[in-house]
Amino acid sequence: MWADLVAFRGKSSAKADLLLGAMLAAGLLLLWEAVARAGLVAPQFLPAPSAVLSAAWTMTTQQSLLWHAAVSTFRVLLAFAIAAAMAIPIGILMSSYRIVGAALEPTIDFIRYLPVPALVPLSIIWFGVGETTKIFLLWLGTFFQLVLLVADDMRRVPHEYVEVAFTLGAKPRNVLTDVALRAMGPTLVDNLRITLGWCWTYLVLAEIVAADSGLGFVIWSARRYVKTPEVMAGVVVIGIIGLVTDQVLRMLHRRMFRYL
Amino acid sequence: MAEPYLSLEGMTKQFGGVPVVSTTNLAIDRNSLVVFLGPSGCGKTTLMRMVGGLDLPTSGTIRLDGEPVSGPDRRRGMVFQSYSSFPWLTVEGNIAFGMHYRNDLTAAEKAERVRHYLRLIRLEDFAGSYPNRISGGMRQRVAIARSLAAGPDVLLMDEPFGALDALTRERLQVELRQIQKTEAKTIIFVTHDVEEAVFLADRIILFSARPARILHDIDVSAVLGTERTLEARETQAFFNLRNDILHRIRTETELHL
Ligand SMILES: Nc1ncnc2c1ncn2[C@@H]1O[C@H](COP(=O)(O)OP(=O)(O)OP(=O)(O)O)[C@@H](O)[C@H]1O
Ligand SMILES: [Mg+2]
Repeated sequence: MWADLVAFRGKSSAKADLLLGAMLAAGLLLLWEAVARAGLVAPQFLPAPSAVLSAAWTMTTQQSLLWHAAVSTFRVLLAFAIAAAMAIPIGILMSSYRIVGAALEPTIDFIRYLPVPALVPLSIIWFGVGETTKIFLLWLGTFFQLVLLVADDMRRVPHEYVEVAFTLGAKPRNVLTDVALRAMGPTLVDNLRITLGWCWTYLVLAEIVAADSGLGFVIWSARRYVKTPEVMAGVVVIGIIGLVTDQVLRMLHRRMFRYL
Repeated sequence: MAEPYLSLEGMTKQFGGVPVVSTTNLAIDRNSLVVFLGPSGCGKTTLMRMVGGLDLPTSGTIRLDGEPVSGPDRRRGMVFQSYSSFPWLTVEGNIAFGMHYRNDLTAAEKAERVRHYLRLIRLEDFAGSYPNRISGGMRQRVAIARSLAAGPDVLLMDEPFGALDALTRERLQVELRQIQKTEAKTIIFVTHDVEEAVFLADRIILFSARPARILHDIDVSAVLGTERTLEARETQAFFNLRNDILHRIRTETELHL
């Protein structure tokens, strides 16, 4: 079990991987705790993990941290769902019909390179400071990336698969659903998982913009009073949610595509 | 004279002004196995893809049973050089997919045909395996069975055994010859392996280097008969024909040196 860990491209073992990952994380935490306790760094800069943990506990019991987390998760999922629901069909069409691809590609490529923070003021002018702006910003950071990834996934579907289907009597519509979607499935789900992660990275930005709820708001308001343990607790919660979703999606990927 | 079954009439193909296939006229009989033999890059794949309706000729027409070919459909099945079985379907699922768009068969008939072709390619034991878990040669057999299950009138095979080891290849050649007999298929088979061509073909069309032009039209069945066993490979007649073709290819290439 251990020999494989150090072999070049060695076989992976779920148990060994998990153990090693947990050990490193625990090691880092211990080191951090030791450094903080030794007083080598001022606690405003680097509070001990134990302090962060206790802050997280107080926040949970007294400041409805979980509710803020739920609000943030909801925002991310909503924006992501909208982005995905648009990006998947549009991306597929872009690579299926030249007219769609040729028309959209330059515009999408242009917008994709615009930094989302630069669009915050515009977004506020358009949508005010309510929920819409937050969803819009999250969508903005996700949709334009995802649509190009989907288009790419579709383009990579081996042309032979498509041609085989035609010679078996398929119509273009059939090829799309019976062949292209199936063939691109694994990379599509992978790309959804990756862009969902990106969506979370825009969350704090979106929630700094005049929000009164969400993890971004929690982090930002704690910062104002230099409550570093609370800032860190907020960040850690985002990390944990990210880690859990990622693992769940990976597991789903394995379940859905057993043939890989 | 009766209308030919499959005919190529004055076919040419250019890619961006570069001629790849020069004027080709060819009439192919029903239930015959015709091999396209020619040097690499001469335009065999291009010619076959046009027969399949996957590429359009620059000029000329292809007729199947008198009807002009205008695009791909179920009447002309295609087996590609690379392993094109669908990775997300099992061996069985791949074969069944061949009949996915046939509304004239009942579910029971489809299931029976799947069993039939599984037996034919001798993969009954791997019915539930995914292509990633079986060998390349097995995968290619799956692709062949899938094309056969669709019930095409004409089967187009582009160097289907190109990447296989000699033994597997030999076995598949024998199987293909048998399939062609029992299923009564018209098959066009592309290869640049002379031995393979002689063993499989009723008729060999020998092409020149690019742009492809028919150099020779060789009636193999007239020499070797239609029954081909592995022993046929060791007969004098087989050797003579093989050497004759190799000689013709050599003379052709020397003219170009
Ligand atoms: N889509 C294309 N665009 C431009 N040129 C092409 C295209 N397809 C094929 N060609 C050219 O046409 C020529 C013939 O190609 P083709 O694939 O038909 O050869 P082939 O006889 O099948 O060769 P091989 O035995 O190596 O498979 C080649 O020189 C190739 O570069
Ligand atoms: Mg070829």
